[in-house]
Amino acid sequence: MPLQEGIYYQSGARPGTAFAVVFLRADPTADSATVGRSLERLWGVYQGLKRGVSRDLPNHLFPSGDLTVLLGFGIKAFGIAGAKRSVPPEALANYGLFRSPLASGGGPLLIGSGLNYADDVKANPATEEIVVQFIANTQLAVRRAVVETWKCLSDSGENPPVLSVSTYFSGFQRDDGRSWIDFHDGVSNLKSSERYAVIGIKPTGDPSTSWTEDGSYMTYVRIHVDLPLWRKLAPDVQSIAVGRSKLTGCPLAGVDSNGSPLSIAGCPSAPSGEIGQDDGFRETPRNPDPTIATSHVQRVNRHRGAVEDPNSLRVFRQGFEFLEPWDRSPGFRAGLNFVGFQDTPERLFQVLTQPGWLGKTNFGGAEQTLPLLKVLAAGIYFVPPDGEHTHFPGQDIFV
Amino acid sequence: MYNTPGLADDLGPELLARWNQEIQRQYQVILQGNHSLESRFFSLDWNLIEMPTTAEIDWFGNPAEPEFCLSRMVAKQLSDWGAQGRHGVQNEYCEYAVVKALDSAGKLRPKRVQISTELREYWVTLATADPDRTRALASAVLGFDVSWMDLYGVNNPNNLAEEDRRIAFSTVVAGNGQDLTLPKSVPYDPTGRINTDYCLFMSHPINGLDDLIYIVLFGAKPYAQTVNEQRQQATREQIFRKYGVEHLACRHADPAAAMGACGAAYEGRTVAFSDPIGMYIKSFARDKFQIRGNPVPDAWVRFSRGKKPLWQRLEFGPADSDAEFLDDIVVSEAADETPVIGGYQVIANIEVGPLISLSKPVALSDGDYVDLTTSSERIKCSEARVCQRIISLKSLYDMEHPASAPGPRGMR
Repeated sequence: MPLQEGIYYQSGARPGTAFAVVFLRADPTADSATVGRSLERLWGVYQGLKRGVSRDLPNHLFPSGDLTVLLGFGIKAFGIAGAKRSVPPEALANYGLFRSPLASGGGPLLIGSGLNYADDVKANPATEEIVVQFIANTQLAVRRAVVETWKCLSDSGENPPVLSVSTYFSGFQRDDGRSWIDFHDGVSNLKSSERYAVIGIKPTGDPSTSWTEDGSYMTYVRIHVDLPLWRKLAPDVQSIAVGRSKLTGCPLAGVDSNGSPLSIAGCPSAPSGEIGQDDGFRETPRNPDPTIATSHVQRVNRHRGAVEDPNSLRVFRQGFEFLEPWDRSPGFRAGLNFVGFQDTPERLFQVLTQPGWLGKTNFGGAEQTLPLLKVLAAGIYFVPPDGEHTHFPGQDIFV
Repeated sequence: MYNTPGLADDLGPELLARWNQEIQRQYQVILQGNHSLESRFFSLDWNLIEMPTTAEIDWFGNPAEPEFCLSRMVAKQLSDWGAQGRHGVQNEYCEYAVVKALDSAGKLRPKRVQISTELREYWVTLATADPDRTRALASAVLGFDVSWMDLYGVNNPNNLAEEDRRIAFSTVVAGNGQDLTLPKSVPYDPTGRINTDYCLFMSHPINGLDDLIYIVLFGAKPYAQTVNEQRQQATREQIFRKYGVEHLACRHADPAAAMGACGAAYEGRTVAFSDPIGMYIKSFARDKFQIRGNPVPDAWVRFSRGKKPLWQRLEFGPADSDAEFLDDIVVSEAADETPVIGGYQVIANIEVGPLISLSKPVALSDGDYVDLTTSSERIKCSEARVCQRIISLKSLYDMEHPASAPGPRGMR
């Protein structure tokens, strides 16, 4: 199965702890062959970084941090003059872009969704032609890759540069299996045996799209979590909003007569236990009571059908937290780099807009419109298979 | 005893008993055709489930087959192709017809969509037993006086024997539903206008009660596979491949219903249709639809044929008295807003499904499991046999719409 590296779908595969994405903007006058040559040079740089080699330090190896590099192409890439491939019609043409923020900042990510851009976001920075995802075991390795990207592009001597870095974002994984809201996170992701069936683009009856098969679509959403707002909620209210016990991570099955959350029977199996140790309790129950059915974990997985069927609306998620300085109180923004891979972005768009899922819901629970999550950037990218390219994945789009 | 679908009608004991007899008949026909389907994890009597919980078994209403065979664009074309498209591809237990009207410039435009999930068998039961009630009901649902000719093709069906009424109503309104007890003279598609120009209830044979019972019954077994010497639930591919019905695995309804039932049975739960048995509109993402930047008025979203939330019918769009037309409404998908030109865009945002009850789980013994060794390899939906029929239908469509044959598609 020729997915590119950086999608950790196989049994036992776990991403490194450090993450970065860099967005590359193509000069509007550049043609596809020129862009292809730039990408080929970049790809060569990345192969060097993976071996611990940089162009400025020949013969002086450094630890690579087990860097992985993934290339993705947004809808704009298919509009570069001379592009050899048309935009994949079903998935990227229909679901290739989120809505733009309002000129004054903010605005809905999608009509029908409860997610909005942050009020200081006036342009979505994740709409460029190309995305490169770096994952490694050290922050240095992914940040070095960002800087080496710039070096390679600026050393080309092109004026204007064919490709330029428009922005980058970084993140990290926590080793406690929790997120900034203190709850367990990512614990009921797809089983490894199910992941490829969700991620890989499947054959269709349209032969003009066969070149996309076994690739994937990457969704990137950088989400600010309003921690001051979250911490105003009582712990029980937080638990019901999430659908898990705050301390143990045990999935909730219902609420008692006082409205207090009830974990599924038998969880945790040890008095001081948490899910993670109790793997049998990672999955959320299929049939919670109506209160818990509105929780976040139930809204994003309604246990529907087979996961390979897009109708299941399952996506494979790799999340990386972030913390960045901010000129407003409390002086920083904490949040999540949501990175999802799926055979069609429609899965995620339906989750975000359909009632009963996350439609008109910001996070989940009784307070559906509480603006806990605010979007800072959001993009959709086609991730070509790591198949028979001779230079870089997706070269057939350009040359 | 099941109540009327959606609790929509008060039939009285005699008619209700006939509806329940029809449910039982459909179940028995399925079992007679295939005794191996019988399962101790399925009950047709919802009363036998003590302290039931509900299962989420639903799916999107847009047809999957033309999409996996060809493309989504073709699915939309064929679905919106009037009665021909409806009976060709609308087989996910959600059918629609588009009502059209002339605008002030004399142009024929879509006015609103009539969407139904009502079971054919229910209406045929009523039409067979009680023509007067059927006529009153059809008139109330469609909003105009429906004639006897439109319902039975005769001037007075009360003069017909019951079996003749069943045949007449099936011929004109319901189609044959692939019911083997009907004479071969009853066509696959209804001949009259009342359930073709309009959508009174579902008439595609695959949207029948028999298929609904079949697919839940089919799934309601603890199908298992052995992986690394551990027993675990079998995959969709294994189950559908085992019975040679791989093509069903690619649809929306069948895998959702079968795998939902299988997941419950694998937990040791018994599955039953909740009361009332039927097919329901579970959700509609109406917020994605706007008119001139505003939400669509409530009066343009009319659920009916059931008591909330058991809706079996949705009429979406302006009333005849409104100046606007359906294509004045836009649907927002991703960053784009597109005029609503047919029903496909609406049902793609609707989830439908039956109501399913589950018992508490019981421990399973080795003998309960149905161990499968069939391959888990991906089923290639685009190679399904049904695709030949879809391709033929698309050819017919292109002949009728010569300008619509798609050319190479580039950037929008």
